[in-house]
Amino acid sequence: METALNLTFIVLLVATALMAVWARDLLAAVIIFSVYSLIMALMWQRLQAPDLALTEAAVGAGVTTVLFVVTVFKTRRREEEE
Amino acid sequence: MKRVLSLFFIAALGVLLLYVVASMPPMGDPQTPTATHVIPRYLERAEEETHTENVITGVILNYRGYDTMGEVTVIFCALAAVLAVLGRERRGRIRGFVDRSPVPSSTIVRTMVRFMVPFIILFSVYTILHGEISPGGGFQGGAIIGGSMIIFTTVFGLYESSRRIPQKVRAPLEGSAVIVFFLVGALGLVGGGNFLTYAWPHAARGLQPALVTWLTVLVEVGIGLGGAMVLISILFAMIREEEEIALTA
Repeated sequence: METALNLTFIVLLVATALMAVWARDLLAAVIIFSVYSLIMALMWQRLQAPDLALTEAAVGAGVTTVLFVVTVFKTRRREEEE
Repeated sequence: MKRVLSLFFIAALGVLLLYVVASMPPMGDPQTPTATHVIPRYLERAEEETHTENVITGVILNYRGYDTMGEVTVIFCALAAVLAVLGRERRGRIRGFVDRSPVPSSTIVRTMVRFMVPFIILFSVYTILHGEISPGGGFQGGAIIGGSMIIFTTVFGLYESSRRIPQKVRAPLEGSAVIVFFLVGALGLVGGGNFLTYAWPHAARGLQPALVTWLTVLVEVGIGLGGAMVLISILFAMIREEEEIALTA
């Protein structure tokens, strides 16, 4: 059970990381990245680091997401085709 | 060619990292050097030495106070760099950037944000003041205050938000983390102890634990306020250019 949960989290982490890199829509990439941070926060909690989990949830999933969203709105939303 | 090369480089890096991870001791192994030297000392003596019930807070603010002071300085430098590049928002000329978006925020969102923000700030005050006993502390609480004001700003706009926390109040508080940390550390010297140990050897014996605890809480409050103001200032500096861009566009 423990291992299964850990494995699920790790698979989700890798999946969200890859999706964030591959997403063509930068806003979608930012949101996926905040999901990554949220899963990471759960992971910290599982590793018995509640302080880090709080920081990750507040900074990683909250503050940086908004700063990225502001940046996306101030630049261009779509990645340019090569 | 370039793609193949970069793919090869990344694959090599990944193999190297996996190799290093495989040679690390398993998590929670009691035989590793860290678990046999530093950790037992922290776990056994932290409470009597730092007078904080949360060992992590004791480690961050007391045993490794120098590291944390450096981190706080780095955060302040980040704000200084952002302000040097983007500049501060100017009062009176600012408008919210979401206000001019094609889809204005709905009444439900506005009401919910107006309702939630005070509670989020209350929770962050709890996180800061209780960081000495439970998980949390200045950094986390500061980030939560910053996050709540960021939600407020995205919904109500920069004008409303900077009226709640005017620049006059924000600017002096931005450095509070560094200043409070340094002052409390220096108070230790005045009291006859060492820098950043919070302990005053000449103070009365019974006064010692309360003194250390309260100085730790003071540092937490300084870090929380400073961190929150730094985050809010960075957001305002990033948003405020919007008007100029929108006007020329």
